[in-house]
Amino acid sequence: MAIKFSTSSEQSIKRRTIDYVLLAAVALLAMVGFLIVVSAVSGLSFGGEVVKKHLIALPLGALAFLFGWLFNYQIYNEQYKALYAMVLALLIGVLVFGIVSRGSNSWFRVGFLSMQPAEFCRIATILIAAAFLANHHKTIKEFKTLLYIGLIVLPIFALIMKQPDFSSIVVTAPALLVLLYAAGVNTFYFALIFAFALTAGIFPILWTFISMNPASIESSKILYLVWQLSHSWVYITGFCLIILALCWFVWWGLRQFRLYVPVIFLFIMAGIILAGFFTGLLVDKQIKPYQRKRVEAFLAPKSDPKGAGYNVLQAQIAMGSGGVLGKGFFSGTQSRLGFVPERHTDFILAVLGEEAGLLGTLGVLGLYIIVLWRIALIAALASDRYGYLVCCGIFGIFLTYMIINFGMLIGILPVAGIPLPLISYGGSNLVASMWAFGVVESVYKRRLTVIA
Amino acid sequence: MKKTKQFFNPKRLSRLLIATYIVAIIIGLRLIDIQFISHRKYTEAAEQNRTQIIYQTAPRGRILTEDGKVLAGNQAAFSLYYIPAAEPTAQEYLNTLSGDIAKYLDAPQAEILAKLKSAIKSGKATMLAGNISPKKIFSFAELQVYYSGLYVVEETKRYYPNGAFLAHLLGYMGTMDNAFWRKKGNTLDYRLNSKIGKSGIEKHFEKELKGRDGGLILEVDYMGRVKQKISDAKWRAGADIFTTINYDVQKAAEDGIKKSLTGRGAVVALNPRNGAVLAMVSSPDFDPNIFSPYSDYALALPKKIPEYNLAIQGLYPPASTFKVITALAAYETGRLNPREETTCNGKIYMNGREFKCWHRHGEHIDFMEGMAQSCDVYFYELGIKAGASHIEKMQRLFRFGRQTGIDLPGEKSGNIYGPSKRARNKTYWFGGDTLNLSIGQGELLLTPIQMANFAATLANKGKIWRPYYIDHITDYAGKNIFTEQPKLVAEVKLKPGAFELVNAALKGVVDNATGRGAKVNGIDVYGKTGTAQNPHGDDHGWFMAFAARPGQEPDLALAVFVEFGKGGAGAAAPIAREIIKAYYGLNKGKKNGN
Repeated sequence: MAIKFSTSSEQSIKRRTIDYVLLAAVALLAMVGFLIVVSAVSGLSFGGEVVKKHLIALPLGALAFLFGWLFNYQIYNEQYKALYAMVLALLIGVLVFGIVSRGSNSWFRVGFLSMQPAEFCRIATILIAAAFLANHHKTIKEFKTLLYIGLIVLPIFALIMKQPDFSSIVVTAPALLVLLYAAGVNTFYFALIFAFALTAGIFPILWTFISMNPASIESSKILYLVWQLSHSWVYITGFCLIILALCWFVWWGLRQFRLYVPVIFLFIMAGIILAGFFTGLLVDKQIKPYQRKRVEAFLAPKSDPKGAGYNVLQAQIAMGSGGVLGKGFFSGTQSRLGFVPERHTDFILAVLGEEAGLLGTLGVLGLYIIVLWRIALIAALASDRYGYLVCCGIFGIFLTYMIINFGMLIGILPVAGIPLPLISYGGSNLVASMWAFGVVESVYKRRLTVIA
Repeated sequence: MKKTKQFFNPKRLSRLLIATYIVAIIIGLRLIDIQFISHRKYTEAAEQNRTQIIYQTAPRGRILTEDGKVLAGNQAAFSLYYIPAAEPTAQEYLNTLSGDIAKYLDAPQAEILAKLKSAIKSGKATMLAGNISPKKIFSFAELQVYYSGLYVVEETKRYYPNGAFLAHLLGYMGTMDNAFWRKKGNTLDYRLNSKIGKSGIEKHFEKELKGRDGGLILEVDYMGRVKQKISDAKWRAGADIFTTINYDVQKAAEDGIKKSLTGRGAVVALNPRNGAVLAMVSSPDFDPNIFSPYSDYALALPKKIPEYNLAIQGLYPPASTFKVITALAAYETGRLNPREETTCNGKIYMNGREFKCWHRHGEHIDFMEGMAQSCDVYFYELGIKAGASHIEKMQRLFRFGRQTGIDLPGEKSGNIYGPSKRARNKTYWFGGDTLNLSIGQGELLLTPIQMANFAATLANKGKIWRPYYIDHITDYAGKNIFTEQPKLVAEVKLKPGAFELVNAALKGVVDNATGRGAKVNGIDVYGKTGTAQNPHGDDHGWFMAFAARPGQEPDLALAVFVEFGKGGAGAAAPIAREIIKAYYGLNKGKKNGN
């Protein structure tokens, strides 16, 4: 099954310079977002300030949208090196001049407004990566292109991690993957990346699970081996040898069926798996206690309803008690009485679910789907490779936001502490998102301009 | 016209979009699950989240006598709560407030201050004191005006207006144990500090007596801080239990036992027509009020109380009252000639052993005289004539050694005695045993309620009723929810004239012989004394009797037992007399005269 992207004459002839469907969906989301933020913070001591800042952010967002839309997006392509330098300068600047809030050094303060440069850097990262891919499209199938992309984003990620702002990476990394996929990177490399991510992710999760249930090692031999892998060098060495042997065995087995796979592929696979394993080991040693708590809460949300699992459970109670029609704006008892944590940012959907009910949550989900659909459509209409790639990258960003926010709320993903663009309170995020939509509209506006 | 763009990868873009739709559908379905399908579950959780209830204990159902005298009722009791304000509270304010409260509560001020502070710190409504007596409540009502945040909640507590009256049957209240909490913690709105019936009727009819608690429902935030008052739910009282107890009879019985030689013993009075318990006394007793005192700062509760209910759990040899069984056994086998006489020399020899009579009665002792004087020698001889096996069979007919079936826990079944019982225990039966058996000594054991039921069976000529003590139960609206039906357990069928003969002898006992102490003018009283030999101290006194207005069927059967009372005639019979007088309303004049 494939979706046909209409690039028919009708679309091309119309001299429309803006996609009203996308604009309307975005405007509606921003409106709903404003309403629900106002409702969520009413009764909070700092509620007035939040509403005020949101009211300032909205016109700023509109400006950012206009900026993105009116400027030719191809400037980002031409000047991507300058953009890259700006991003690095911003991120270094925030580490030097920024202010520390809630344990992370990620804010610039200008007057009484504060700005989070990481929000803009997310979009910029996509613009830079798209530019690099557009310029190197002939070697897109080669491994070195992938390597270069990795080398380009690594400093950005490293600086963001320094803040630390783990959630920024949680959004940007999957978006980059979407971009690479859309750019046509070899599927094999994706297999490698997934193998890497899987091994890097599965081992810390298993170790966390074992530390939660120490009795499980006695009952299961496999878990006992996994547990040994977390600290015993003997077992780790054995594991490496087994993986290598396994790869050789697979290569040899395939040869018996006259399938001649270059031996290098298998060793790359083995290397990736081992690299993933060691990354996992590193992550397990470096992970912050609160982050481990979140993983634990995700693995067993009911085990400690007053502790780490409390937040998700309370958010679900709030949503569930809202029912189909909701309790009405300004009348959600659960969020109002403080049972829903971070109710105007990370858990805004819970407030929406309680006050606007199923209609509200499905409505926002639907609007998000419309936004994503239009972005994909504009990607198909783009006049050049760069426009296409930029749209795909931005598509990836908002897809990730949507999945993480809804997924966390319905309990299929751990809590990541990420706001939902246009709905949650967060000025920088709103402005950056509006800029991104402006860029998409800019691609739409210039869909007929043919550049050699 | 279609232009093909080389850079455009439609396959991958469409796959991305399809993946997005699939994810959205999964999210949507889960949202429908949470917000539509499981809506009710989450709504309940949300309500539980946001409400705190200050409970008001409902008045417990009353326990009354058959004619409506309250045996167990309720007294107003008050609980004092402190609901902290949202804004901070000054230290001086707390000091004066805690000082005032402490003064009226007779509690240490530091303790009250600590409670206030923890209430403010947590922001939760906190109980400062429970079970405050109404005398003090006016002071608190005054404080409530001066100080904001104080809240007086009206509750009730158990009260037994007659003190120790009928204590064993009524039972007492106490805090629940773990087993009860596990079983009932989530039903009938019990809370950890709820009081429950711990024995007697209070325990047995806990479900009926317990009403539905009311409460003040408060809205609280996620820290449990009070935000606002939502509603006030009124309690519903428990069901009233009407017992078959006759107040006057019970009173006479209690007074009688208390005034007796040792003050220890038991009385059971039954209506022989249906088995209704008119009085049940066991002494020593206790005052159940000590378990529901006012104020949490009262004295420590006593650990041990005389809970042992002698009336259904005390086992004693029936002694001479058993001679009725011997007589019936002899009559049933055709070996009793009422006119046959014997001579009592004060003793009789059997296999070289001497068996004494309690008195040397001399010549011309016939059946009437033997019963009236309770002559052991006459019954030794009658027992030999009847045969031990027949005496044992007669015991079984009267269901000795089996529970009467009264609906009370812990009833003892007693012990029958005879050759076949011996054979079952693989020992021998000797001639001397027959003699012991005929006068009710030996291994034979009866509870006072069995004795009373025996008297009732004689009174109604063979019907054995199951004793019962609940007449009916009415719910909070006055609707009858339960009425006890008398139950005929068995009927003793004997040769014609057997009961008439024995009852005539029993009347003779009271009219002019050993049972004279129970004689009441104008009432036909039938009775038999008994003096149970006690190797450990003074003998126990028995008196079993039944009574009727002249020309009517008997309507009162009773057994009086006085522990260490030395004898049935001296200790037990006068108590029976007072009980009979009380039952027929013959002691009123005397009372007024005092």
